[in-house]
Amino acid sequence: MLGRVEKKYGVVVVGGGPAGMGAALGARDCGEEKVLILDREPEAGGILLQCIHSGFGMHYFREELTGPEYAERFLQKVIDHDIDVLPGSYVSGVAVDSGGSKKVRIMSESHGLITVETKSVVLAMGCRERTRGAVRIPGTRPSGILTAGLAQKFVNLKGYLPGKRIAILGSGDIGLIMARRLTLEGCRVEGVFELMPYSNGLTRNVVQCLEDFDIPLHLSTTVAYVHGRDRIEKITVAPVNPDLKPDMSRAWDVPCDTLLISVGLIPENELTQNLGIGLDVVTGGPLVSSTLETSMPGMFACGNVLHVHDLVDYVTREAMLAGRFAGEWSKGVRRPKDNIRLVPGDNVRYCVPHTLSPEREHTIHLRCKAAMKPCKIRVGSLMEKKLRFVFPAEMIMFKIKPDLLDKFHGDTLRIDILPLEKGERVD
Amino acid sequence: MIEIKKYICIGCPVGCPLQLEHEKDRIREVTGNECNRGAKYARQEFTDPRRSISTTVQISGALRQRLPVKVSGAIHKDQILEAARKIHELKVMAPVEIGQVLFKDFLGEKGIDVVACRSMKRIAEAMTACRTKKHRRSKAGKPE
Ligand code: SF4
Repeated sequence: MLGRVEKKYGVVVVGGGPAGMGAALGARDCGEEKVLILDREPEAGGILLQCIHSGFGMHYFREELTGPEYAERFLQKVIDHDIDVLPGSYVSGVAVDSGGSKKVRIMSESHGLITVETKSVVLAMGCRERTRGAVRIPGTRPSGILTAGLAQKFVNLKGYLPGKRIAILGSGDIGLIMARRLTLEGCRVEGVFELMPYSNGLTRNVVQCLEDFDIPLHLSTTVAYVHGRDRIEKITVAPVNPDLKPDMSRAWDVPCDTLLISVGLIPENELTQNLGIGLDVVTGGPLVSSTLETSMPGMFACGNVLHVHDLVDYVTREAMLAGRFAGEWSKGVRRPKDNIRLVPGDNVRYCVPHTLSPEREHTIHLRCKAAMKPCKIRVGSLMEKKLRFVFPAEMIMFKIKPDLLDKFHGDTLRIDILPLEKGERVD
Repeated sequence: MIEIKKYICIGCPVGCPLQLEHEKDRIREVTGNECNRGAKYARQEFTDPRRSISTTVQISGALRQRLPVKVSGAIHKDQILEAARKIHELKVMAPVEIGQVLFKDFLGEKGIDVVACRSMKRIAEAMTACRTKKHRRSKAGKPE
């Protein structure tokens, strides 16, 4: 029920976005009856509520939905399954007692300071954007510089525009989508400036958000200086040399009253860190076993807090899995510990989960370092899978069957992405 | 005279650069595509490029100030800006249900409506008043 909170739960989920809602439903699915979702915003739904463009749900619902539609369908399911949801609540800490039960400390707008006891916790806090500080642009510190996602919140939820003449640093998907969004709202978008020689966003977004509106995309270009005293007045942009340093001899000025920054996402793991849970330095998310359990027993993680996903549909699938294991845990099921470590090898930036067990089938998520086409993924000496292409912006997923792992007697499995050998072809 | 139009396929992340050869309105051939989807996409873009659009409209009496809406079918690419302007003239009052039609056949094309992308409850008047006041105050403090 919306706004209801009791003293004891089986599973408490931190975060009410797609990951949190998916996890709660997963826990309900496996028979856990007492599930609570906590969210700091005034309503559950997470970032989906401000992603008003369509493109969500193609895998899960087999139809193309907007963010708010996807969120509402899930919220309805959550309410139908009698899951408690407490919006306007912030988790300040989790204490674990010797018996393994967890006390979640909550600051709630409606209930004040409360503590809820639970057997397992699912971390589903999502991710946040890298800021100007994280990319260090020289110049003054005027107002009018914000992340693309914050601008999205202002425009789509609050109903005010951040400015009229917009420049965008970084070609992440949110930046591209905001370029179109602000154009539709009557702003003038001067251009998108991307440090790398390729766009970080989906081709679909480059075509439909920029080209459709004749917004220029300047690749291998960056913002070298910010001008303006109280409000940003203009930026100096410069093409970069191969070492990614700006070449000031070719710089030019772009007048603007707003600079949006869209340079990537980082999992939001302050709570996780405070709990002393082990993190993966590459993903920025916790290290997890094949049951998506973190280094703290009974504490699970899923969605963008674990690693940044491409599609909300994938978040939902992963979250439901994490929720199911969290529900199992709260009912006393203890699975055997994983005994195989998964490590990234050639051209693999990271893989999740970090360990495996021969007990079940696993879906492995990984990202490559560099684009390669065609190529193959090799998992130790167990299997090979040929792919037409891999791109850093595209998450790679594949399954490993339990009978394969059964044949494996080592303790470390290495994953490589390799070019095809002569005579090999992708069918 | 044979002319060439260039597109980038959006079918998958490969993003094949497509070339469509045409003589006036007649398509001769599509090249550059690594699979069939690319050819289909180029043909569609050449003959009738359409886009689906979504935006927000003003809503009063609700928790939020804006209601997300979408156009129920894809519209012609050249009509996007006009459509957005037209939709922005709408003002709605809570409560609204997801899928509710707010503006029927709004471009004069049958079956292309503006629909709500989420439900929004009506919240108590007192709460709305207090919210707008807070909102106004924060606005006043903002430099133009
Ligand atoms: S033509 Fe095929 S392979 Fe090329 S971008 Fe389109 S869908 Fe992908």
